[in-house]
Amino acid sequence: MLSFTSATHHEAHEFLVREAELLDERRYRDWLDLLAPDIVYRMPVRVTAPETLEHGLLEDMAHFDEDLYSLRKRIERFETGHAWTEDPPSRTRHFVTNVRTFEGSAADEVVVRSYVLLFRSRGDIRDADLVSAERTDVLRRTDAGLRLARREILADESVLRTQNLAVFL
Amino acid sequence: MAVDVAQLTADIAAGDIPALIYNDRDVFELERERIFGSAWLFLAHEAEIPSAGDYVVRRIVDDSFIVIRDEQGRVRVHFNMCLHRGMQLCRAERGNASHFRCPYHGWSYSNAGELVGVPFHADAYGGEHGLSPKEKTLVTPGRVAIYNGLIFASLDPAAPELEDYLGGFRYYLDFYTRQSDAGLDVRGPQRWRVKANWKIGAENFCGDSYHTPHTHVSVVEIELFVDTKARKRKQGALYFTDNGGGTTYKLPPGTYEERAGYVGYPPELIESQRRTWSAEQQALIADAGFMPSAATLFPNLSLVHNWPAVNEEGLIVPFISIRLWQPVGPGETEVYSWFAVDRSAPDWFKQASYKAYLMCFGSSGMFEQDDVENWTSITQMARGRLAQRLNLYNRMGIDREGKLLHDPVEGWPGPGRAFVGFGEYNQRELLNLWSRYLANGSAAPVAGR
Repeated sequence: MLSFTSATHHEAHEFLVREAELLDERRYRDWLDLLAPDIVYRMPVRVTAPETLEHGLLEDMAHFDEDLYSLRKRIERFETGHAWTEDPPSRTRHFVTNVRTFEGSAADEVVVRSYVLLFRSRGDIRDADLVSAERTDVLRRTDAGLRLARREILADESVLRTQNLAVFL
Repeated sequence: MAVDVAQLTADIAAGDIPALIYNDRDVFELERERIFGSAWLFLAHEAEIPSAGDYVVRRIVDDSFIVIRDEQGRVRVHFNMCLHRGMQLCRAERGNASHFRCPYHGWSYSNAGELVGVPFHADAYGGEHGLSPKEKTLVTPGRVAIYNGLIFASLDPAAPELEDYLGGFRYYLDFYTRQSDAGLDVRGPQRWRVKANWKIGAENFCGDSYHTPHTHVSVVEIELFVDTKARKRKQGALYFTDNGGGTTYKLPPGTYEERAGYVGYPPELIESQRRTWSAEQQALIADAGFMPSAATLFPNLSLVHNWPAVNEEGLIVPFISIRLWQPVGPGETEVYSWFAVDRSAPDWFKQASYKAYLMCFGSSGMFEQDDVENWTSITQMARGRLAQRLNLYNRMGIDREGKLLHDPVEGWPGPGRAFVGFGEYNQRELLNLWSRYLANGSAAPVAGR
């Protein structure tokens, strides 16, 4: 793990904080610009397995298993004005903490792990939803700045308590 | 307020839906006893537990069951409660076990459900004099049976045979669950909780083609799945038979091969479908020209088959999903959603079909997102006082006197009755079944009516 005082750590942390702002402000086109063309965006299904946490996810089934095409389609859908599930939109807050940065496997990449707590409020009388997860990201250096090349989202619930994932983590 | 089942039944038979049924504690208690206490209910698919000792834990409302393959390869369903003092025996969701040992006092059971170990048997029970383990096995539901790998249970020991319960619906169920003799690969389930009544999803999948062009208009606009537009959707047929029904899409003219190819099946899968399905089943696609889409088996098992574009080049690939609307309470449902694909399919197809599924259905699916928003809103509205006075309008396809506006499809190749165009034929059938179960605990007609 890189020191909390390292410049790389600061850069990675800044990337995540700015990204959270884009997501909460629903600036999805700007968010798409932060993604590498070969982005792999996954959120495997978590299960309650005996004895160990390691086996507590499904290898072959995910809530999200996205590439740039499918992420773009999801965002295009929000732009149609007919994505009822987010009209009116949810009010969300992505709380990003416990950021740890590591050397990547390629020279131009860093690995950054973070905790995220998503607060999601819809309408006036529904209870708000919480989604808690750890994210393991690969950030790649480009001329335009850091780009998200890979994200693995490990939810802490085996049964999600939010009506859908019309939100990103 | 006690439920007036006779009034509910009469209203529903007349094409009205008392709005309160979507969020009422007393209605839910009756459903729990008379529907979920007797109907055949889906638990798991055999492909989830391929090897001896493999298990998944599933529920029927509040009852937890271990669904496991024993050492002889037989599928067993055990009530997940220790016979001694009632502890939940298995607290994992899936795994592999030859035995289960209760965490409380250590009673142990084989995966076939036999009590095989009692700590301090001689000291504590005086050996066989006090307790004969051989005579004790975990409790089982009333009946368990399997069709195309789908494991069903009924809590009622006197339930009819599963094959009879499925009846004519088997003809349609095979499209989703037996595309070749290799059977299905099943992935998942994704599980999530929605603040919606379980019946709304079941009704929607069994026959609501009318919602598709509006609820899912965004999916057409982004060119993910274009057949959902109204002009195409209303050409589909809606069928119902015995305890289940579903929706279809009208296919463009062509042979079986051309039509199955239109929804994205590659030649090798088309070939195995033709080897596997009866001539009558193939006629639905080849002659009548309809492709199955969403369907529901009463009470809470649904299926869906759609064919979106999975990449930039517009490659069309079909997917199948199996889903369960597991009631948590009158206003809450746990959705279990599996991806299913023919086991003999080539790897590229399996992967592309999985992608198609994730984009459309499941916890993040672009169809499902908008459906659930509607269903939670209905459920929320249904709990108030005015909803107790309101009868919702379930009469599409019949006139004021209750006569059909259109004739059923002539020469429909499958079991049951089918109509082309928009109509709430299937929702009426499903709710009529529902009210008969509320009255009788079975599908038998209500006495004296």
